[in-house]
Amino acid sequence: MISALLDGTAWEIAAAVRNGAASAREVTQAALDRVAARNAALGAFTDLTAARALARAEAIDAARARGEKLGPLVGAPFAAKNLFDIAGLATRAGSKINRERAPARADATLIGRLERAGAVLIGALNMGEYAYDLTGQNAHDGPSRNPHDLEHMTGGSSGGSGGAVAGGLTPIALGSDTNGSIRVPSSFCGVFGLKPTYGRLSRAGTFPFVASLDHLGPFARSVRDLALSYDAMLGRDEADPAQADVAAVPATPAIEDGVAGLRIAKLGGYFARSGEPSAFAAVDTVAQALKAERVVELAGAERARAAAYLITMFEGAALHLGRLRTRAADFDPEVRDRLVAGAMLPAAWPAQAQKFRRQFRRQALALFREADILLAPATPCRAPKLGQKTFVLDGKELLVRPNVGLFTQPISFIGLPVVALPVWTDGEKLPIGVQIIAPPWREDLALRVARVLERDGVVRALVASFA
Amino acid sequence: MTPQFDPEAIIDAMSPLLGLTLTAESRAQTIVHLRIAAGQAELLLSTPIDDREEPAPVFVP
Repeated sequence: MISALLDGTAWEIAAAVRNGAASAREVTQAALDRVAARNAALGAFTDLTAARALARAEAIDAARARGEKLGPLVGAPFAAKNLFDIAGLATRAGSKINRERAPARADATLIGRLERAGAVLIGALNMGEYAYDLTGQNAHDGPSRNPHDLEHMTGGSSGGSGGAVAGGLTPIALGSDTNGSIRVPSSFCGVFGLKPTYGRLSRAGTFPFVASLDHLGPFARSVRDLALSYDAMLGRDEADPAQADVAAVPATPAIEDGVAGLRIAKLGGYFARSGEPSAFAAVDTVAQALKAERVVELAGAERARAAAYLITMFEGAALHLGRLRTRAADFDPEVRDRLVAGAMLPAAWPAQAQKFRRQFRRQALALFREADILLAPATPCRAPKLGQKTFVLDGKELLVRPNVGLFTQPISFIGLPVVALPVWTDGEKLPIGVQIIAPPWREDLALRVARVLERDGVVRALVASFA
Repeated sequence: MTPQFDPEAIIDAMSPLLGLTLTAESRAQTIVHLRIAAGQAELLLSTPIDDREEPAPVFVP
């Protein structure tokens, strides 16, 4: 029974703990056992916080015995990408260098908030070095492997997050997304991912990458879990100066409100080329289910992607310049050389990119006056094989690492909220994702659309088979 | 003067300024990434951006 619970959702685990069908300790121990059994194959976890998790679970069971009010995610195991501070662990951020640092003294804000909702942290998750990665490979910890085909990438940089959720290790995981690092692993691993609006969720207590573009958010196997975890993490945090002063509106209460009255359109132009047919077929599947026939253009998307690319190189390089000077040999070479190049860019390029960011934002807001939701592919292809360096898009051979995010980058460039959802095709082993893009601060709309598609069986997140 | 893109010259000029020492392998890959960046910059700058456009260093969507 516990095993079935772990294959299900966080809210079902919470219901079972609340009504006494399972104890938080049983669920936590079962999740830890699963990680022990499966992680050698998946490479999803880099640290387990077993003692802390069991103590937390026992405290939950004691609180229940005392008749105390229990949170909406009570007893649900979760884990966080290893750029989140976890008290007692060095925040390695996928690097060799940072693991020499002193252990974090406190948890990241979002971890604390999920735990206040009753969830139980069981460990830290693998990621691409310093988050400069969309493949989920890591030169120091080994790759995270796609649970649906271990020879394929999870996507990154939140590779362990996608792998943990698709592999049935945890129903919820936390990740970060600068250019696609939540949405790409969601697509490749076949799970739901939410990249909220830029400035929505606190980034306090996490290792940065690109201050202008960094977002944090959850992964889950159900839309309700995505909404519940998002709601639990909402709220002002003075420790994050980049957080916007915008009212926190919970999404869960309206999750079943449906899509009646919403104007939903497909993005054409840039978002309808440079991908494999499967990427566009997935968007068509979702659009047909939503009866979304209209196609609209987001002018300037290609330039937006270019601008995000340059800001990323520039800010990432500035962050790591000292380490590039003194510890160059300790970087993953594939990350290091992109950072070195970023340190040599003319300053006018990122400065102009920041100006274009405001211009492109205006274009997107104008588009949202005629549509409430935009649909686009999440990735140009299904998960490539581990170690694969290039792929062919529109007849051109391109490097995988810099190009997996070509559909996600223009959207995070202006901080729009997105739910990435998994589409499966009969006969295919691997899924592919679609982006449900909403206007700023309207995560609730994207989640409502995602829920309709989940309810109608158009999209689903599966736990990989480990027979 | 038309901009000239010469990644070798950029690396030669910038490495000492930045205090970076590149191995031959790292230099070759840095050239690849500078070329990609230059292509992205050409695209970004292909259309003028208004002088009065406000940059978005702290961005509120």
